[in-house]
Amino acid sequence: MFLLLPFDSLVVNLLGISITVLFTLLLVFIIVPAIFGVSFGIRKVYMKTLLKIFQWATLRIERGAKEKNHPLYKPYVNGIIAKEPTSLEEEIKELRRSGSGRALDTPEFELSDIFYFCRKGIETIMDDEVTKRFSAEELESWNLLSRTNYNFQYISLRLTVLWGLGVLIRYCFLLPLRIALAFTGISLLVTGTTVVGYLPNGRCKDFLSKHVHLMCYRICVRALTAIITYHDRENRPRNGGICVANHTSPIDVIILASDGYYAMVGQIHGGLMGVIQRAMVKACPHVWFERSEVKDRHLVARRLTEHVQDKSKLPILIFPEGTCINNTSVMMFKKGSFEIGATVYPVAIKYDPQFGDAFWNSSKYGMVTYLLRMMTSWAIVCSVWYLPPMTRQPEEDAVQFANRVKSAIARQGGLVDLLWDGGLKREKVKDAFKEEQQKLYSKMIVGSHEDRSRS
Amino acid sequence: GCPQGPRPVTSVLALAVTSEQIEHLHRRFKQLSQDQLTIRKENFDSIPDLEFNPIRGKIVHAFFDKRNLRQESDGLADEINFEDFLTIMSYFRPIEMNMDEEQLDRFRKEKLKFLFHMYDSDHDGKITLQEYRNVVEELLSGNPHLEKESARSIADGAMMEAASICVGQMGPDQVYEGITFEDFLKMWQGIDIETKMHVRFLNVDTIAHCY
Repeated sequence: MFLLLPFDSLVVNLLGISITVLFTLLLVFIIVPAIFGVSFGIRKVYMKTLLKIFQWATLRIERGAKEKNHPLYKPYVNGIIAKEPTSLEEEIKELRRSGSGRALDTPEFELSDIFYFCRKGIETIMDDEVTKRFSAEELESWNLLSRTNYNFQYISLRLTVLWGLGVLIRYCFLLPLRIALAFTGISLLVTGTTVVGYLPNGRCKDFLSKHVHLMCYRICVRALTAIITYHDRENRPRNGGICVANHTSPIDVIILASDGYYAMVGQIHGGLMGVIQRAMVKACPHVWFERSEVKDRHLVARRLTEHVQDKSKLPILIFPEGTCINNTSVMMFKKGSFEIGATVYPVAIKYDPQFGDAFWNSSKYGMVTYLLRMMTSWAIVCSVWYLPPMTRQPEEDAVQFANRVKSAIARQGGLVDLLWDGGLKREKVKDAFKEEQQKLYSKMIVGSHEDRSRS
Repeated sequence: GCPQGPRPVTSVLALAVTSEQIEHLHRRFKQLSQDQLTIRKENFDSIPDLEFNPIRGKIVHAFFDKRNLRQESDGLADEINFEDFLTIMSYFRPIEMNMDEEQLDRFRKEKLKFLFHMYDSDHDGKITLQEYRNVVEELLSGNPHLEKESARSIADGAMMEAASICVGQMGPDQVYEGITFEDFLKMWQGIDIETKMHVRFLNVDTIAHCY
């Protein structure tokens, strides 16, 4: 045992030195720039290098597949057409409602009923989910994440090695680095805001709280290696306004808040989130609701209105869709935020799926799993567009205003503007349901017919 | 089938879809036709989801209906090529923001004409009671317990209502021949089909180029 001692101490020394070096690098290259808001441009170089590697990998796959004469799978993750997730009953009701406006509770057969089946038929002809799509011509660029590619078995040894290297880098180098950064960011946020909370109210406190928030969000952005391009920054939200954006993942908050000063709105959670929320509100006024208060729409509207009317308070950040959407479409905006009567600053956020899919499917992954997935991707690349402010015109109501804002956001981000409620995401339309639909339809018509003939 | 001479490509250009979307549709066409230049009715059997659709027959028929293919002659084509395929798809394109009143009206008429042809299976320009009954029976065919009588009476009731909208009060010995296209248009007056009868493409090519 004594023979190993000098060797032991050598190992310990080496470990100590490397950790110190790592942390110094961390501090110099990431944390200090985050505090002052400058950037060395490391992430952009990283992104360009990655792209070159991806292109090479894609070429290798195509060449390999051609040699072995296998057709490649080109997974259209979302299909090529936007299928609205509505049920038969709702659609038929909607069709009839827009028609004669007759009583909806007695569905009789109407000429318009044929629409639903006609459209569904054409949709399946255009794009069938069951049939896989083969594409020999060009493959989307593979980003070395096996979770996004089904052609994995057709690659050469060189590519496998590269992929293995990628896994090593992502899990053993990037992941610990990112976790360390995230940890630093969150703890700085909590301690910073608590400390600022002790200061007396005034300009100094406001200034410090804004900058503490900003600094910590910037560190978190680097923790995710998020490469964000902001467009039209002159339209950024001002005090007394409401900032409205489309929602793809919880990261949206960090992305927006690292480029501006916002007041957050949300429900108080327990655990770590709760600690963060309680600390944040000490430094500057955010709008947090208890779980019981969330249901009371008038209370919510009143508190938001109070906040907005006070011009010294920061603009509110709201995601009106209410849930995360997969970043190809914009679903119905809930009208609550649009009734308040403040200036609305729309923001469109669009993620580049090449580097990692940022969509949070909350029915599939929990928050922690999702964050781990994000931290083990290469990077998160997105674009943010600040659209010019909008106000509600006198002749439109809240719903029309909401739809107008939604269309503007969808158009800017290149997303499809869908009418239906994002809440439908959780209710999957089952496959067996398709067969039931015919039976359901006929039951609907026949049932009411019998009712009528009986009465 | 008889060889078709070259036709002007204006119908394709009027589609107002991007070249990327045309590429997608072309790939789909090749898949359905199994790499041939034309599609026949049998090729639609390879779509499993279509089996569940009660008016499957009518939809497939619509693809080969020469009236929908904007050909002068009448009847059914035996096979269609890619341009015909696109022509049929163009009936389902969504409205664009910058359409004026006249364009919207023409748009609407086109879509309604497509539907009219679906009902009018003998191509005589009128939807007779028998044809209406056919459609209702097909739509309700998913329910095996449904008696033919019920379907028939539903169709009859609906037809009577249609007659009352189109012709108003009929005398006791007046016979309602069938719904013509003008009457058909009248029935759809309030209904906003332009926004319902379309299929939207996802904008797969508008990934933000952030670099």
